[in-house]
Amino acid sequence: MKKQAITLIINGREHDVLTAANRTLAQVLREDLGLTGAKQGCGVGDCGSCTVLLDGAPVNSCLVLAVQATGKAVTTIEGLADGAKLHPIQEAFVQHGAIQCGFCTPGMILSAKALLEEEASPDDARIRQALSGNLCRCTGYQKIVEAVDAAAKVMAGSKEVG
Amino acid sequence: MLMPAFDYQRPSGLDEALGLLTQGGGEARPLAGGTDLLVNLKLGKQTCRLVVDLDGLDELKVAAGGPAEVCLGALITAAWLARQAGALGLSGLAEAGAALGSPQVRNRATIGGNLCTARPAGDLCTMLLALGAAAVLAGPGGERRVDLGEFFRGPGLTAMQPGELVSAAALTAAGPGRGSAFEKLGLRQAMEIALVSAAAWLELTPDGSGIQAGRVALGAVGPTPLLSTGAAHALAGQAADEATIAAAAKAAAADAKPIDDHRGSADYRRQMAEVLSRRALTRALAQAKSGREAQA
Repeated sequence: MKKQAITLIINGREHDVLTAANRTLAQVLREDLGLTGAKQGCGVGDCGSCTVLLDGAPVNSCLVLAVQATGKAVTTIEGLADGAKLHPIQEAFVQHGAIQCGFCTPGMILSAKALLEEEASPDDARIRQALSGNLCRCTGYQKIVEAVDAAAKVMAGSKEVG
Repeated sequence: MLMPAFDYQRPSGLDEALGLLTQGGGEARPLAGGTDLLVNLKLGKQTCRLVVDLDGLDELKVAAGGPAEVCLGALITAAWLARQAGALGLSGLAEAGAALGSPQVRNRATIGGNLCTARPAGDLCTMLLALGAAAVLAGPGGERRVDLGEFFRGPGLTAMQPGELVSAAALTAAGPGRGSAFEKLGLRQAMEIALVSAAAWLELTPDGSGIQAGRVALGAVGPTPLLSTGAAHALAGQAADEATIAAAAKAAAADAKPIDDHRGSADYRRQMAEVLSRRALTRALAQAKSGREAQA
């Protein structure tokens, strides 16, 4: 099968990749680019552990062909921290005990990021709806929701100050 | 999970896409959001030698509307419908879009994909059926329209001919005195295939005193999304009140042809079809009335 030469823009950086068309964005991120934050859970778009942002919108990267992501801005969990400084959502997850095994965490955080960029003060129900495509087998979700709520307040606060 | 090897093309226009599909014959598949095709390829439920990516067809991403008719491009996503269909007055369609899958799936899943996959429980299929929509098909022979009542032929089966693409869904525009609503019942609240769904649309008489016409479509209670003729008869020309809605909901349930499956029993589905139809009609009527009052 002929390989395609594509340019992916991941966390603001360009990557030239040569890949067969039948490989997903999840596979290319993990296997070609070493960005293993996005996980492969179910492989069919049910669990959300492969969630990345495509032009800011959460998608299951296991259901996007790598070649489809050409020219689009891809954000992975690796793109959130600013050097050693965690993103407020990451910080909140740590502080609120929202991480156990960590497998769902990158997807959860990216879905939460997309939510908070759209809505500054989502209520509980809205947070849960925004995370409804991300499954967690460890935490029972409560701490995750509290972390997102706390992060929302921090992010709203920063905006007012800045 | 791995997919079989395939060639990939990304046409930049509709004619080019149609040419590629015709050339590729039965082994060429159009790719829209990928939330059905790629899943099926991974699970070995479909084969494919050529993927024709439709993402370059910007003309299929447009919602074009006039006072009489709205044409929703086939590549419009469920997420777009959830956010924007309300502004077009099509609140039932916004609800159906919001009910589909999960946020991640909604950002990719499309109108055209949902129609072509043609599941009896298809959320957009069922709501568009109640809205009286037609599938606009583009093919080697030109363009044609097929009413959704004729378009769905069975689970996963449509009236499409080889080489054709759904380019849009065409439906009557919303307006004062018209309302729509969508109700979906599932075992969980997200990422779910409907156990039963009900989509309602109705239009008030010009003086607002009664119902001019109405439709109820039911999902997951037949081999295709079902348009209830009984409900339509029970609505047309009747008073715009609770009694009429109750009768129409009962008629809708009577038209349902559910089966027992791992999600639920036929009996439960039939009962819930009536409950959901009543809820959907009640909300559609409220929208129709408030739209009319706002105009007056």
